[in-house]
Amino acid sequence: MSSGKLASDFDPVFVNSRREALIILCSWVACLIWAVPYCYLNGYPDESFDPAQLETTWGIPSWVFWGIVVPWILATAFTLGFCLFVMRDDDLGAAAGPNTDTPSPAAGETNVATVKPEEPGS
Amino acid sequence: MYLFAQSGSNAALVTFLIYTLAVFGLAALSNRLLKSKSFLSEYFLGSRSLGVWAFALTFAATSASGGSFTGFPSKIYSHGWILALWIGSYMVVPICTMGFLGKRLNQIARISGSITVPDVLRDRFNSRNFGLLAVLLIVFFMSFNLIAQFKAGSLILKTLLADVEVFHGVSRGLFGSITAVGGSLEGLPGGPEYLLCLLTFGIAVIIYTTYGGFHAVVWTDVMQGIVMVIGVLIMLPLAISLVASQAPADTGGLQHATESMAKMTPPRKGSATLTLDTVPTEDLHLPGGSWFAIAGDSDQPTRLFRLPETADFPAGQGSLTKVKLVEITTPFEIERILSAFESETSTIPGALYRNVQLSALEMNSYAYGADKPGTYVTGPGPDVRNAVGFLPLSLAFSFFFMWAISGTGQPSSMVRLMAFRDSKTLRRSIMTVAVYYGVIYFPLILIFCCGRLILPGMDGESDRIMPAMAVHLTQFAGVSWLAGLLVAAPFAAVMSTVDSFLLMISSALVRDVYQRNINPDAGEKTLKRLSYLFTLLVGSAAMLGAIWPPQFLQDIIVYTGSGLAAAFLAPVVFAIYWPRANSQGCIGGMLAGFGAHLTMYLAGKFINGSFFTPWRPYHIDPILIGLTISFVSVYLITLLTPPPPAELVRKYFYRSV
Repeated sequence: MSSGKLASDFDPVFVNSRREALIILCSWVACLIWAVPYCYLNGYPDESFDPAQLETTWGIPSWVFWGIVVPWILATAFTLGFCLFVMRDDDLGAAAGPNTDTPSPAAGETNVATVKPEEPGS
Repeated sequence: MYLFAQSGSNAALVTFLIYTLAVFGLAALSNRLLKSKSFLSEYFLGSRSLGVWAFALTFAATSASGGSFTGFPSKIYSHGWILALWIGSYMVVPICTMGFLGKRLNQIARISGSITVPDVLRDRFNSRNFGLLAVLLIVFFMSFNLIAQFKAGSLILKTLLADVEVFHGVSRGLFGSITAVGGSLEGLPGGPEYLLCLLTFGIAVIIYTTYGGFHAVVWTDVMQGIVMVIGVLIMLPLAISLVASQAPADTGGLQHATESMAKMTPPRKGSATLTLDTVPTEDLHLPGGSWFAIAGDSDQPTRLFRLPETADFPAGQGSLTKVKLVEITTPFEIERILSAFESETSTIPGALYRNVQLSALEMNSYAYGADKPGTYVTGPGPDVRNAVGFLPLSLAFSFFFMWAISGTGQPSSMVRLMAFRDSKTLRRSIMTVAVYYGVIYFPLILIFCCGRLILPGMDGESDRIMPAMAVHLTQFAGVSWLAGLLVAAPFAAVMSTVDSFLLMISSALVRDVYQRNINPDAGEKTLKRLSYLFTLLVGSAAMLGAIWPPQFLQDIIVYTGSGLAAAFLAPVVFAIYWPRANSQGCIGGMLAGFGAHLTMYLAGKFINGSFFTPWRPYHIDPILIGLTISFVSVYLITLLTPPPPAELVRKYFYRSV
């Protein structure tokens, strides 16, 4: 708030992006909490493990199926849902020409190209 | 079998030539675009105009790198099903690496007119020093990485063309020409074939990247991305059906592969003296992939060994010492392989020799998993050196962290996030990459778990498993011509990474050093010439560096990738999401992340005896420590230093009035 403005004046792209970033971070944490502990508890047997008793699902070790395959499918479904229904289509502004240390406008304003004109013969 | 191999190899050569021509064609088209738009923005950022397919596939292909199609299959083959957990966080990699920073980074780059990552940091904080520090780190890390990637590309090409006669002839001719003009290539690693591959690969990449710029890189990435996915989708059914053909009637291919892996114990690796029963009168070559059986007696079963590399017996010499070997240790596998050679429809490549004597055997067992059935289907997985296994719990956490979070912190990914057209493109591209990764990575695990049954004993040369599987599968499916397309996939992967890194380094030098610090008034013609020149020079320097390449290829790639993330992620995240962030905090965080990460590697030099075996307290990877220290440092230093100028906050965080 060093600019003296209110939070409601925040650029909507910033606000939406920050909200979406938090959701993404939560989805990563959720996948981490599911996949790693599940695989560790079910896929890291002790010395008494008999390989002949290995449980499989569709030919895949069951600890991989439930610990990786299923969350992978759900995570992909979540990604599709998130992109379709949660992520906003924000106006990112017009593309500026490369900055050469000339002041450029604020968020949401149209930028002016600051690249130097063509040299003769180029 | 020989005929199959020949046709597969020729297909590889034809595919490679067609592929290279297509790449040059795309570069020529891209160069035409350069003439109609602002040069720097077009050359280094594609004028921020990437659509869904271009953005999605360039992002996916660049991230995939050579490792996905060489190192990853090799690891699956060597360690088994545990690789599913190792790569598990790829389930959220697309949404994390693209969605976490994408929209906001793209917007800030537009506001500031930035076309490189150092540009963004410099403009966001109005700090010339920050921009220069970012350039320095990018050039430092990327230069090492570029050399390693050149080596990877050359090795893949060498494998691809290994059975092509004309290739060996040209290699020897080139080697002879260099020696004839006084050049010394004494002790060149990889021999003349490596040199020819390096020059072919290097010159092709340098020319098309220099000539076509960003759009050439993107369009070739799209082509490469398509080649990769087609390769995987063809290999999957071929691998499963080949294993199914060996399975009992009521068992599926994948089920049979998993059940067989559950019985397997890791092989022993070592060396022995080979002695022939008759002394050869002329030079004799025992090709790599040959098998040796030593008959046992009632107490001791037959021992079975595989020769990973060609053994050359000179005329008049009947024995060779210190020949590398891999010994199969699983009784049922030994029986399966021996009976396969007795049948007329053997699916095991190579020839079996029973008349070669082995003596002075020095075979070493795995540090974890030796004589332990089940180790290929459970965690932590077998490991040659590590006594706690391949993936102990703490490393599993580290890798889940590494792929998703450190992938987000790669400057090469960030620069692509600055290039998409609009947020709709971003949304659709994330969806595309999510499906794309799902279709690529998990099937690779299935394919190369089947690989343990299809090509047994390749533990001594597992880096070759991808091309070897491609050639083998297509032979048995009767479609040898497809081998070329399949082995082009890893080549495409490494090419798409190299071209992006090359452009990143030259953009850092032209844009961030020359234009923004030395000559801000430089005109388009000068910048154009410099861009071509620097791309050419950086590429050539990396190619020359790769003639005598660093030994630890994968280690360098891991070090540079994780080092870049440790240095860049926290400053960029705070820069775009925290209005209070200031240059002192972000510079401090960048240096702290870089320093902490480097310290772990330097400590590894003293504690473990090698820079590339970093110190991992409690098995925690340096990337985790580097990132944590970097994030904490940015936060604390920022709070201890004055707030940023109000006009910068207003410019980047508030709507305009």
